[in-house]
Amino acid sequence: MFRILKKSLKTGLVTGQYPQAQPLVTPIPAAHEKAAPFKSSLTIREVDTGSCNACEMEMNALTNPVYDVERFGVHIAASPRHADALVVTGPVAVNMEHPLKEVYKQTPHPKLVIALGDCAINCGIFKGSYAVTGPVERHIPVDVRIPGCPPRPVEILEALASIRSFRTPSDE
Amino acid sequence: MTDRLSLEQRIQTAFADLVAAHPHDGFLQYRIDQSRLPEVARFLHERLKGRLALLFAIDCRPRAQKYEIQYLFALGAGQPWVLLTVELVGSASLFTSITPSVHAAQWYEREIRDLFGLIPQGHPDLRRLVRHEHWPQGLHPLQKAFPWDKTMGWQQGEYRFRHIEGEGVFEVPVGPIHAGIIEPGHFRFSVAGEPIMQLEVRHFWKHRGIEKLFEQCTLSGALPLAERVSGDTTIGHSLAYCQAVESLLHLEIPRRARFLRSFFLELERLHNHIGDVGAICNDTAYTLAHAHCSRMKEQLMQLNDWLTGSRFLRGTMAIGGVTKDLTAIQQRAVIDSLDRIEKDFAELESIIFANASLTDRLETTGVLTERTAWDHGAVGVVGRASGIDHDVRRDRPFAAYDEVPVHTVVYRYGDVRARLRVRMDEIHESIRLIREIWQQLPHGSILAAADHMPQPGEWALSAVESWRGEVLYFVMAGDDGHIHRCKVRDPSFVNWPAIQWAAVGNIIPDFPLINKSFNLSYAGNDL
Ligand code: SF4
Repeated sequence: MFRILKKSLKTGLVTGQYPQAQPLVTPIPAAHEKAAPFKSSLTIREVDTGSCNACEMEMNALTNPVYDVERFGVHIAASPRHADALVVTGPVAVNMEHPLKEVYKQTPHPKLVIALGDCAINCGIFKGSYAVTGPVERHIPVDVRIPGCPPRPVEILEALASIRSFRTPSDE
Repeated sequence: MTDRLSLEQRIQTAFADLVAAHPHDGFLQYRIDQSRLPEVARFLHERLKGRLALLFAIDCRPRAQKYEIQYLFALGAGQPWVLLTVELVGSASLFTSITPSVHAAQWYEREIRDLFGLIPQGHPDLRRLVRHEHWPQGLHPLQKAFPWDKTMGWQQGEYRFRHIEGEGVFEVPVGPIHAGIIEPGHFRFSVAGEPIMQLEVRHFWKHRGIEKLFEQCTLSGALPLAERVSGDTTIGHSLAYCQAVESLLHLEIPRRARFLRSFFLELERLHNHIGDVGAICNDTAYTLAHAHCSRMKEQLMQLNDWLTGSRFLRGTMAIGGVTKDLTAIQQRAVIDSLDRIEKDFAELESIIFANASLTDRLETTGVLTERTAWDHGAVGVVGRASGIDHDVRRDRPFAAYDEVPVHTVVYRYGDVRARLRVRMDEIHESIRLIREIWQQLPHGSILAAADHMPQPGEWALSAVESWRGEVLYFVMAGDDGHIHRCKVRDPSFVNWPAIQWAAVGNIIPDFPLINKSFNLSYAGNDL
């Protein structure tokens, strides 16, 4: 017990210890409007449709104590039925096309779709392959694009902040 | 040398008519008729304790009207690879399955059937593996006649899971989309009451046609693709690819570059292993350890970013060496950070193991016995936790590991705790290795240039011990610097079938924990 406390005290507060980034995204104006209901809370369901897993790892990093995305009211949901936004990573692999559409259907309205990473936006390096059926927007409407291969967690954070137009971590 | 003679002699004694070729240093190749294949494969596997490391096909068209099927066996440290080659000439499309005697061949042969349309005769399970049921009949993308960018049609079909019937037996389907932020895959459990009677893993949701994409690239242009086969294993895959191409180009790698390669490979191992330790604890609901581990992992990723401009160390490897050199200041900073992290982590370790409710969850959970691990040819962390004493860094040293030897960590119990222990010990070992590399880091250039072009049909194979385990790349040169065939084997491909056995007898709520302790790649498996 004392060991645990001592460790926590010694570690101190690590949240926010990351290099700042410039906001990268210029979201389409409609996204602002669509994001309005999620200003104070946004629940995300992540869907991987064929990524290399690096984009997922950066999404996962958002939940670590350093980025702690929950302090901005962002939660990760276990089911699309509880989600306000779908974050889709990876080009749409032919075997994932159907599950992606299914998840989209199961997500209640109003909903946002965020394409995370170059693959989700334009298939990236996998473009053209017989087993890739096109970027996410070919299958479901995309509201926000976050480029990068993979985007850094701080860039994802900035993007989420800017579409929901709340205070960004850097003006704290 | 005596080793090679003795191995070659032993094969010679058993099969007097087989003639070995020595295509490269460290290889014995036998071209055999497929009627002989099962007995030779069985001899290598059972008598000589050879592990089937890789099995794949090559479409030799347009140069020759034939397919080649290659069986690669690994026979212990310091021994040459043994490669059996079988040819299917003209329109022949049947080959003899070795799965009945070499269990590890099962997925490989199904994969060949799907991607090449060649049929393994005598295989006990000929269901589709990579091709999901909606792929049209007769579509085999790795045949040379198949255009890489063809749009695929759609057909109705149903995948038949293995059923267990009986009173009180029911099935629980999980996936392909899971609750956490993880990759897609499908698990089908058959349970009676609480315990799992059978688990069937259904993967290849993320199949992106990577091996076909490689064939569209030049030898020098495919590196970014290799980095993105499995994003968390950027260095493991890109290094294995570079080494294969370098041996095709007859490139000698500068000594400093070899040291830096090991350095980056260990950095990659570190952040992944620390992340896994946290994730395993998290799946037992011990979030404190998870929070500390993900904090340390984040520190390491920020360090990677600062050193190379990429949190995943992308763009560090190059054919002929590395692209990033480290200044003395950077080296010092890495060593200082690692000193801190090692202390930090050691404190956490003692907290973790003082927690009886945690260790209770880990012990005897998800046991993969040594026998099952061996039958599947399990590699890497999973293998070493089940008593398989195998580490490419020691057995076939690459990069700087001949000068900076690694102490291999092996545990025998094969449970979640053993896999956790392997990772913990390897974290300390990686830090030790990085220190050692830093002390011995030679001066000199970091990149060599090539002046040789391989002939079409020349091939090379390379093996790297990534953080998950052995990554294999087989690269065959094509015309004007293009790739004719690139076979990628992530360690996950051999370890996934093994997890089906580790789950049996456990309860479903423990499966996420077992799965985390394996932590296999879906992307690297599905290709
Ligand atoms: S965008 Fe890059 S990092 Fe993300 S999934 Fe695609 S290849 Fe991987």
